[in-house]
Amino acid sequence: MPAIKLSNVTKRYGDITAVRDIDLTVESGEIYGFLGPNGAGKSTTINMLLDFVRPTEGTVEVLGQSVADAGVSIRERTGVLPEGFDVYSRLSGRKHIEFAIDSKKAADDPDEILSRVGLSEAADRNAGGYSKGMRQRLALGMALVDEPELLILDEPSSGLDPGGAKEMRDIVTAEADRGATVFFSSHVLGQVEAVCDRVGILHEGELVVEDSMEGLRTSADSEETLILTVSGATDDDLDAVRALEGVSGAAIDGTVVTVACESATKTTVISTLGEAGIEILDIETDSTSLEELFLSYTEGEGTVGETAPTAEQTEPDKTAKPPEGAQ
Amino acid sequence: MSWLVVARKDFEDSIRSRWLVGLTALFVLLLTAFAYIVRPEPGETASANAVLQLSGDLFIGTLVPLIALVIAYNAITGERKSGSLKLLLSLPHSRADVVFGKVAGRSAALSTAIIVGFILPAVILAVGPFTLEMGAYLGYTLLVALLASVFVAIAVGWSAAAPSQRIALGGAIGLYFLFVPFWGAIQFRLQLALASLPDWFPLGAETAGNLLWLSNPSSAYQGLSGAVLSGQFLSGEAADLQLAAISMLLFWLLAAPLVGLLLFERRDL
Repeated sequence: MPAIKLSNVTKRYGDITAVRDIDLTVESGEIYGFLGPNGAGKSTTINMLLDFVRPTEGTVEVLGQSVADAGVSIRERTGVLPEGFDVYSRLSGRKHIEFAIDSKKAADDPDEILSRVGLSEAADRNAGGYSKGMRQRLALGMALVDEPELLILDEPSSGLDPGGAKEMRDIVTAEADRGATVFFSSHVLGQVEAVCDRVGILHEGELVVEDSMEGLRTSADSEETLILTVSGATDDDLDAVRALEGVSGAAIDGTVVTVACESATKTTVISTLGEAGIEILDIETDSTSLEELFLSYTEGEGTVGETAPTAEQTEPDKTAKPPEGAQ
Repeated sequence: MSWLVVARKDFEDSIRSRWLVGLTALFVLLLTAFAYIVRPEPGETASANAVLQLSGDLFIGTLVPLIALVIAYNAITGERKSGSLKLLLSLPHSRADVVFGKVAGRSAALSTAIIVGFILPAVILAVGPFTLEMGAYLGYTLLVALLASVFVAIAVGWSAAAPSQRIALGGAIGLYFLFVPFWGAIQFRLQLALASLPDWFPLGAETAGNLLWLSNPSSAYQGLSGAVLSGQFLSGEAADLQLAAISMLLFWLLAAPLVGLLLFERRDL
């Protein structure tokens, strides 16, 4: 029995389609990373798993039951860390955990859970005074109550420092070792890479790739980045290159042209530029990292050459990327 | 009994609010002030019921619904806006558990403020030149708590139904004006219409008029409070009318959240 099964799920808000025709299956016992840039539809999809939001079309099943009919009994067996949540500011961290324990009719020891998520010291303070990271830890603690069969974590590392993100991953791994299925989303590949068995990449509401971590690495290995120093080229000149089979993206920054392509296509790229009358002054190659591959899936029209600086500018969680998660 | 867990959490959250402490103090102050106003001549004693009667006429019927609407209109919309509703619904609670749990938790919190706020002045009255009829005093206090709970239920129902916080607030203000200041005028108009009822209408003019009067929880409360204070609760001529008033209050207590729930069930968070 799959832990999560989305069949032809579409969600529209008026004219806007947030999620389009998603088919996704998470098998019992696996760690599934749900990747995509902010605004790709990850939270909308997760909100449909939780019955916070109802799909316009399609069916959503969790732990073998339809979320529309069996929301409560599903959530009895599921631990959830939602996105965009808030705590009850007048209640202490301990009260929150106790509330989760009462709600799930569980027998957990609140202190044990608080210490697991690193909140022992702050347990008796009002959660209203907690930092973003502490709130995130608190919600994770609530999700861990009663050893759920399935954990659904929406951007669990947001607000956490690198150490916190590492602890989060350790908890995810420990829960999976216990036998739980883990489904978690992130817009940072580094968060997912180190722990996931399988990855789905969402882009503009569509599931563009679904592969095992190993499969993704293989595709990354067969890709190369070609860095060319040129004179007199414009972005329009690159259209011919982008049209080539085996090229996943091309970009220009002043006199530097960057092309992501399969190794075998390199010479064709160079000759195509030559035919366009562009003088090539220097050629370098670089192997594509998994990060670049991820970004090439999620940044639309081939701007691979610009991905590295863009990533640093726009991803607040970049700093949370762990050293061991990097290539 | 998942709604009880929600209710307990909401109660624990609400009683930590400074509002509630302030309200308790307000009740104590107002009742003590009224006691001072109706104090008997030196050497004589007066009934504590007179204090309650005066407070009932002057502020309970208008102030308690207002307070209840203010502390409950945001019960669901506020949590939806802040996101704590996601935390709540991530746990195994249905939306019905949330709505009825909120009604119970917030009613219990406000009732606590009312009961404490009425019992403390009772001690002052008993020490002073007042005779305290415990039954009537307690009965009256519980009745005020029931009135507050009914308006909490109406506000939570509305809060569940309202698509945004602004509409929730606007609706709460509207409900207050409907039930408190404007009701007299509305009732008068309708009463005139009732005077010329067509023959097929199943109710007599008097019964219909009574129902109309009772359909406002504030009036139902007023009818009952008079009976409690005069020692005629559920006895005497008006016993049937009092039963109808109690039924009407219970009806509001359940129906308002239920209607809100029906709309809330269909909504995306």
